[in-house]
Amino acid sequence: MTESREDIVLEVHDLFTNFYTFEGTVRALDGVELFLRRGDTMGLVGETGCGKSVTARSILRLVEPPGKIESGKIIYNEIDKQTGEVKPIDILSLSEEELLDLRGEKIAIVFQDPATYPNPVFRIGDQIAEVVLLHQDLRYDVIDMKIEKLEKSLQGESDPDKQVHIKEKIEYYRELRKDPPEPDKKDAKAAAFRRAVNMLNLVRMPSPESIAMQYPHELSGGMRQRALIAMALACDPGVLICDEATTALDVTVQAQVLKLLNHLKKEIGTSIIIITHDMGVVAETCNWVTVMYAGTTVESCATKNLFTRPLHPYTDGLLTAVPKLHENKERLPQILGSVPNLITPPSGCRFHPRCAYATEQCKSVKPKLTELEPEHWVACHNPLN
Amino acid sequence: MSEDNLVQIRELKKYFPLTGGVFRKVIGRVHAVDDVDLDIVRGETLGVVGESGCGKTTLGRTILRLLNPTSGQIIFDGKDITHLGGSELREVRRQMQIVFQDPMASLNPRITIKNSVGEPLVVNGIAKGPRMRDMVLELLQKVGLTEAHLNRFPHEFSGGQRQRICIARALALNPKFIVMDEPTSSTDVSVQAQTLNLMKDLQDEFGLTYMFISHDLSVVKHMSDRIAVMYLGKIVELTPHDIFKEAMHPYTFALVSAVPIPDPRFAGKAAILSGEVPSPINPPTGCRFHPRCPFAQDRCSKDIPELRDMGNGHLVACHYAGTLDFGRSAQQEYADSFDVPANA
Ligand SMILES: Nc1ncnc2c1ncn2[C@@H]1O[C@H](COP(=O)(O)OP(=O)(O)OP(=O)(O)O)[C@@H](O)[C@H]1O
Ligand SMILES: Nc1ncnc2c1ncn2[C@@H]1O[C@H](COP(=O)(O)OP(=O)(O)O)[C@@H](O)[C@H]1O
Ligand code: SF4
Ligand code: SF4
Ligand SMILES: [Mg+2]
Ligand SMILES: [Mg+2]
Repeated sequence: MTESREDIVLEVHDLFTNFYTFEGTVRALDGVELFLRRGDTMGLVGETGCGKSVTARSILRLVEPPGKIESGKIIYNEIDKQTGEVKPIDILSLSEEELLDLRGEKIAIVFQDPATYPNPVFRIGDQIAEVVLLHQDLRYDVIDMKIEKLEKSLQGESDPDKQVHIKEKIEYYRELRKDPPEPDKKDAKAAAFRRAVNMLNLVRMPSPESIAMQYPHELSGGMRQRALIAMALACDPGVLICDEATTALDVTVQAQVLKLLNHLKKEIGTSIIIITHDMGVVAETCNWVTVMYAGTTVESCATKNLFTRPLHPYTDGLLTAVPKLHENKERLPQILGSVPNLITPPSGCRFHPRCAYATEQCKSVKPKLTELEPEHWVACHNPLN
Repeated sequence: MSEDNLVQIRELKKYFPLTGGVFRKVIGRVHAVDDVDLDIVRGETLGVVGESGCGKTTLGRTILRLLNPTSGQIIFDGKDITHLGGSELREVRRQMQIVFQDPMASLNPRITIKNSVGEPLVVNGIAKGPRMRDMVLELLQKVGLTEAHLNRFPHEFSGGQRQRICIARALALNPKFIVMDEPTSSTDVSVQAQTLNLMKDLQDEFGLTYMFISHDLSVVKHMSDRIAVMYLGKIVELTPHDIFKEAMHPYTFALVSAVPIPDPRFAGKAAILSGEVPSPINPPTGCRFHPRCPFAQDRCSKDIPELRDMGNGHLVACHYAGTLDFGRSAQQEYADSFDVPANA
């Protein structure tokens, strides 16, 4: 995976993460490889327990004890807004303080369960505003807000003397905007709330002003999920990770949220990782896919290649085991068995006990992820053809 | 009354009281199932679909008399069971079982698989001791488990295996009818394929009748002979046809049009049904779908549409059924793209 860092916003190399549990060491990530191109929407797929969420948490350094990131490299390639230069950030060597900047501002995540987030006791608008307050420079917002207010009062003013006075004030703030001072707390709060309303508007909430005043339990699952996306996007992150963010929703509401993500990507240019086990969701929204199995990356390519020409036996199994809306089959093709326990993972290729193509080599030698065809990476000794 | 129907329900209603205030007065009622007529034919799989909260689970549980109906009639195997109680109810319950979405929640964690699966046999005085063990083993083998599993506990199994255990237990009393309530929603696609295949095999072997509830329309299509579509407590369409190709109710069409298509050539083509299911406490008047329906006319907010037979047992509850032009959904285009030979 060699490519210029201007094109790639996030890269993960040879990532190992373990959990030291009472039963033994869970080898959850075993050399994960992935990259996300700028502007792409990538699907991260695989069955339960394959390590999708642990990968996402590792990227944000949110793995908590007994879990531990053992080794590997995670690079976020930031583009300096002024100079346009690429600044690689080595996530695994960031300090706790630097991590606070990374989370939210550079990489944001939306989790699966909308019932547990956001915080139930705070109003939606206040919660988003708090995130904004913590991460964003609001000096310009505060001044813009003042100018807006003055302009409004100018419209309603008929007294010419007062008009002149207001105009002078506006001029003053315009001048101040060139190098704005730190705003006081009250102004900053108001500006943050204004941004929150804008974010709710961005995620197409009906009447965002009133939604901002509501509590999470007053919203439906779909609206709560949209509020979460609004919160995640409030700090204009370079990467948005959605971990099964639509899994609990009805197909109708899921379709609404997915369409929203597609629109947002175009509007604000965030790169997106969608973690899902639904191949339909991938086909619908992602232009790139990375398939994981038992803590390893097994295949990575453009979505259309994955669907027309999967090269890894596991990917093929995933695609064929699902009932298709166009088929009338009596029986479904099965992948035998289930995802292995990762305390004692299979040797060699971790898929070998379930693989119809396994050979002796597969039992002892771990296959490397290689670019078998242009732009198509596979980790398998006997790829399909 | 037809001999062919294992289950017949008429004007079935299930309302849940909504209480509030200090004296817990009834302040409203949830219209979970509202005036449903339905026949389930012996040996068939009747699929039930609809958005969350539309009353699928409540319908299934009320038919099994796990919930008491508010009004209406339930006939099971020729017998009116609407008001049965005590030993008579226990007797018919043996013939109807339910399998839930979350197998962990329906198995007692401190009881071995042998005793879990054998419990209905013991409780109903059918078998105990070694005879019970032999019967349980036979059941386990039917669902693909072995003797080695007999004395293990639920936590020692994977989700898919636990679902098999639940199915084995449901089969213990040799039932005629099983309600499957989202049996594979919490399993992976590989396990789902195994479970669905198993359920079809068992149906053939034991001549079972299924009511199969699921969110996943492709799965329901795969499993079902007929599909009932529910919206806010009512059946709006009941069809023996392919719902992806021949939907006649605007809600059904909207539902199938939202299904993500597993083919990147159709990316972004799924259609959006705007809004969400309204509260079942004060459901909309007339046709309950009218606030979201793109075809709604004045009449739709006033008159309740009846389920009408549009031919071949295809029932639709819409005033304008058969006259509406939905256009073609991307899902239809997708399905049709397989009818053309690849080199044509
Ligand atoms: N015990 C209860 N008390 C009060 N209301 C209930 C009760 N059980 C269900 N309801 C309500 O009845 C309606 C139908 O619920 P039901 O569980 O049957 O829906 P469902 O179609 O199975 O939904 P899902 O797809 O989410 O499982 C919902 O509005 C629900 O909140
Ligand atoms: N807190 C934890 N303690 C122990 N094991 C864990 C923990 N979190 C995840 N794992 C293990 O790591 C593996 C990958 O899990 P996860 O990333 O959650 O899978 P996915 O998101 O793909 O379903 C699994 O074997 C899981 O059991
Ligand atoms: S490496 Fe071997 S066992 Fe693994 S997927 Fe390829 S053929 Fe199957
Ligand atoms: S009856 Fe009217 S509102 Fe209801 S589905 Fe038909 S056209 Fe739409
Ligand atoms: Mg996960
Ligand atoms: Mg339900």
